[in-house]
Amino acid sequence: MHAVLLAETSEEYLCGSAETLLAGMVRLGRKCIPVGCVNGGCGVCKVAIVKGSVRKCGLMSRVHVSEEEESHGVLLACRATPMSEIELKVIGKMKKIIW
Amino acid sequence: MGVMRIGHISIKVMDMAEALKHYQNVIGMKVTHTDAGGNVYLKCWDEWDKYSVILTPSNQAGFNHVAYKVTDDFALVRLAQKVRDYGIEVEELPAGTLPDCGRMVKFNMPSGHEMRLFAEKDILGTDVGSTNPDPWPDDMRGAGAHWLDHCLLVCEMDPERGVNTLVDNKHFFIKALNFFETEQVVVGPNGSIQIACFLSHSSKPHDIAFVAGPTSGLHHLSFFLDSWHDILKAADVMAKNRTRIDVAPTRHGITRGETIYFFDPSGNRNETFAGLGYQAQRDKPLITWTEDQVGRAIFYHTGSLVESFTTVYT
Ligand code: FES
Ligand SMILES: [Fe+2]
Repeated sequence: MHAVLLAETSEEYLCGSAETLLAGMVRLGRKCIPVGCVNGGCGVCKVAIVKGSVRKCGLMSRVHVSEEEESHGVLLACRATPMSEIELKVIGKMKKIIW
Repeated sequence: MGVMRIGHISIKVMDMAEALKHYQNVIGMKVTHTDAGGNVYLKCWDEWDKYSVILTPSNQAGFNHVAYKVTDDFALVRLAQKVRDYGIEVEELPAGTLPDCGRMVKFNMPSGHEMRLFAEKDILGTDVGSTNPDPWPDDMRGAGAHWLDHCLLVCEMDPERGVNTLVDNKHFFIKALNFFETEQVVVGPNGSIQIACFLSHSSKPHDIAFVAGPTSGLHHLSFFLDSWHDILKAADVMAKNRTRIDVAPTRHGITRGETIYFFDPSGNRNETFAGLGYQAQRDKPLITWTEDQVGRAIFYHTGSLVESFTTVYT
């Protein structure tokens, strides 16, 4: 288990290295990163890794994360597993459908 | 004589192998064709036309186009003219542009979504045939969806700029394509802003629906199941396959439909939908859901909205 720390809110949770950053959070019923499709397509779980290393798993929609961003540690939390203690910043937002 | 039903939807997927596992093992479709470009065509067991879903390989998820099948070539010509008369440009695509599909007319809805109409597609028949058919086939997989039922599209709206392409789409579908409205959701002062629209061209409560959002996109594609029990079984299938469920089995106030929302492996939202609710008719008074009851309109039991459902789409 690795500690995942959210830089801005100082929230923290423990995530296994066999599950994604987002799946680990969802399993605990936590809500610090927005959750959508959990499959790399909708982009709401976009984060920037500030500290620590992750392993990418699965494809990410290029509409939401460009190659350029990816090279700077920006990725989708549902498509990366922690390899060490992680500190991250949430970038993704729930953009509201009108109702 | 005119539009009959949703003929197919074409969507983008990022990992074709994973997508095929999902649409075959969870939804229960069968692959009927793969073309040279790697696009895969699938059908449900109770559908007779060769395909209702086209998966196209891409580096993103989302909508390509939706096509509706019309009664015959005469209807196709007439509807193409009505679309032109409405002021929307129409492109004619020759037969074979899509495999085993007759000629199509192609245009964009006011919301920007690409739409096509066609009159002919190769018929494979349902999996139980048309002579003394059994009620269901023996090799049904997963949820065993009967057919692609409808899609819900997110339409760009910005009240500040006076943009509401949902309302533009509604007028277009009613005036040019002869759909009729069954239900609506309205908000704002005196319910002056429409944020959801359900349209039918058959006796089903909806054949297409629109919701308003900050940008146009795909909210979900929906597959028909017979009963509430089939919905429960479909949820079991999803749990077994570790499918990401967005909204567990419940009922909509709108359309009275019984439902599950979930995501395909690229993040496109799917729905399995049961219960035809009521018979939609052109003279049935329009059903209106008001802002204070919008939670119950969408999720009838809890009456509260699910954040991902109202914010996440591709
Ligand atoms: S939750 Fe949709 S991309 Fe991660
Ligand atoms: Fe639906």
